[in-house]
Amino acid sequence: MPFTARDLRYNAEQSYPLLYAYLHRNAQRYLGALKYDAFEVDTVIGHVVEQLVRLGLLGGDDRTSLTALDRLTDAQFYTFLSRSVRNKSIDRLRKRRLQVSTAAELESMESDEGEDHPLEDAVESVWGTTPFSTPEEISLHLVSQRNLRDLLKHCIKALGAAPNQLQAVIEELREIGADDLLKDVGEELHVSVSSPGPVNPHISQHKDHAHKKLRNCLQQQSTNLTVMIALRLTEYKNVSSQELSSQKVSSDMKLYTVDIQTLAQKDLSEDEVRKGLNGLVTEGLLDWHGEDVVQLTTTQMKRLTRFYKEEE
Amino acid sequence: MNDFNQLGGASRFSDPRGEYTKLAQWLQQVMETSPLEDSEDKQASRAYKEVNETQLELLLDDNYHIQFYQQLPDFIMGLLTNDPQATLRYASLLYHMVGCSECHSAYLDLYDAMRAAVQPEGMRVSLGQGTRTLYATPPRMLAHLCQTLISQAEEVLRQARRDHVDNDASARELLQLALRISSRIAQSSVRRQALQDLVRVATLFEGPTAPKQEEPGVYAYSPTFAGAGGMRRAGKRGVRSADILSRSNEQQEQPMIDLQAHSLEGNITQNGQTLELHLQDLDEALRGHHISISVLLGSLIEPVRWRGGNPLAIRSINTVDASGSLVVPLGETDLQLSNPEERNLLEAMFMLLEVRVAD
Repeated sequence: MPFTARDLRYNAEQSYPLLYAYLHRNAQRYLGALKYDAFEVDTVIGHVVEQLVRLGLLGGDDRTSLTALDRLTDAQFYTFLSRSVRNKSIDRLRKRRLQVSTAAELESMESDEGEDHPLEDAVESVWGTTPFSTPEEISLHLVSQRNLRDLLKHCIKALGAAPNQLQAVIEELREIGADDLLKDVGEELHVSVSSPGPVNPHISQHKDHAHKKLRNCLQQQSTNLTVMIALRLTEYKNVSSQELSSQKVSSDMKLYTVDIQTLAQKDLSEDEVRKGLNGLVTEGLLDWHGEDVVQLTTTQMKRLTRFYKEEE
Repeated sequence: MNDFNQLGGASRFSDPRGEYTKLAQWLQQVMETSPLEDSEDKQASRAYKEVNETQLELLLDDNYHIQFYQQLPDFIMGLLTNDPQATLRYASLLYHMVGCSECHSAYLDLYDAMRAAVQPEGMRVSLGQGTRTLYATPPRMLAHLCQTLISQAEEVLRQARRDHVDNDASARELLQLALRISSRIAQSSVRRQALQDLVRVATLFEGPTAPKQEEPGVYAYSPTFAGAGGMRRAGKRGVRSADILSRSNEQQEQPMIDLQAHSLEGNITQNGQTLELHLQDLDEALRGHHISISVLLGSLIEPVRWRGGNPLAIRSINTVDASGSLVVPLGETDLQLSNPEERNLLEAMFMLLEVRVAD
């Protein structure tokens, strides 16, 4: 009986030997000159096994959420495993300085077995071959996409509670000419960003603290949820009058309402929406007390729009 | 700043003033984690690895970020299926990958493997076939799996602590799985290696603790790890009192778990369903006193009905005799020391047994 991803998740003890045997066969196939080196074969297998445990699949039972790997077909899952073994084998070959000869071996072997150009035979997504292949590419994408840059803006704004740290970051941003970002932050926090402030003798220390806070903030899922919900609150205002009803409260104030289901769409849970809304309440951007319908005044909507959604 | 096509990727925009490029460089500086932020135990772990190069090492022991790592498959599938919300949904992960080379490297590995898996054309690899058992799997690979599961349990506990949630059950089940798999390893040295971090991780359930120091008056016993079967002739050691030797003759070929605390020795035998702890040559300070026994991993798996109900506080019925000997019934179990696999499971449970004066 072949094993499946489900077997690995729910019957790890029984399926591990089968997994091992499958990985072993593939490791020997891809390790070329090292295929009789038991340590190298086991190292490759060990890396793939570890990956499966770390991903919460092998032995994960119901303790970890199902992922895209659980939803692969059996054939796709085997291809995934085989490719993982191949990649780890190449790593080991490179480490043992055998890459020149074995790369040729690999290609000829794969060609014999029907894969004409395995490295080029990829799904062509709009991202190209491998998106985000370097940290530089990721960071460039993060700062150039408005929605993603909003997280950065959000976290810089959160530094407002520590004025010296905020000032240190403002100075850095001014030096690199991030004028638009500075302008948004300055307007929201009512601080001057146009000219350099007095030199702070502890600027380096404040900068280090500010960077640490930014790191933490940017990697928090709660930050992401807060920004996503803020964006959705502003976006749904413009999208449809049916989804977002507005009623005239007074001549200068509208009351906007959005229900939680609309904010959740298909990709967020109600719980996640509530976490995001709580984040906005904490920032003073929203008055919300757990109701199923979120209400915003014109002033609140304007403030959200100004900070999280640039004018079209 | 102007907005850019959400799906366009970073390479498809112009940046004449270089503003984005400079901002991106600054962001990279911000996200880079200094080595000083590594915890001391991770540094110690690294040092350990450096002197144990021949051992199959864990890839992600040092810099494994469970909350991000486990998001990778869904994020990658979002990219592969051109989901326009993928980058926003996983923005925290993207920010994390700017500064974490381990997670970024894992992303590249997984992306390549998943892309190959979902490609519509091309050769499909053959399915795994055959019937194999854990006994037919090399012990070294079973040990590696145990180490990985234990390491994973540690990370689950640490992450739960950071998130202020209780995830003890998940970690416990990972350790139980590691224990069950380790019981299939016949070679004692490999089994010891498989479980080398078990006690340390299992004690994390109580929360963060300082490195355990030897407490005065506490005798910490651990198994000497027998080979396959765990059968031996009791009484083979040199210095024994007459009554012990006499009893030993009766126990010839009796399966047991040998224990050691520095120069002190003891063992665990089975009488029917009852597990008995035999201690010899106990310190004079203990003689004439009742003792309290703590089986630190006793609640990790639950095949034993412990005397008094608490494996951390089993009180001896009798006092230590004048020669420093004592036999203490620990509890009842359906497991049999004569069954090698069950014996290994019990041995793992007794990886740390502490003895102290009960009064």
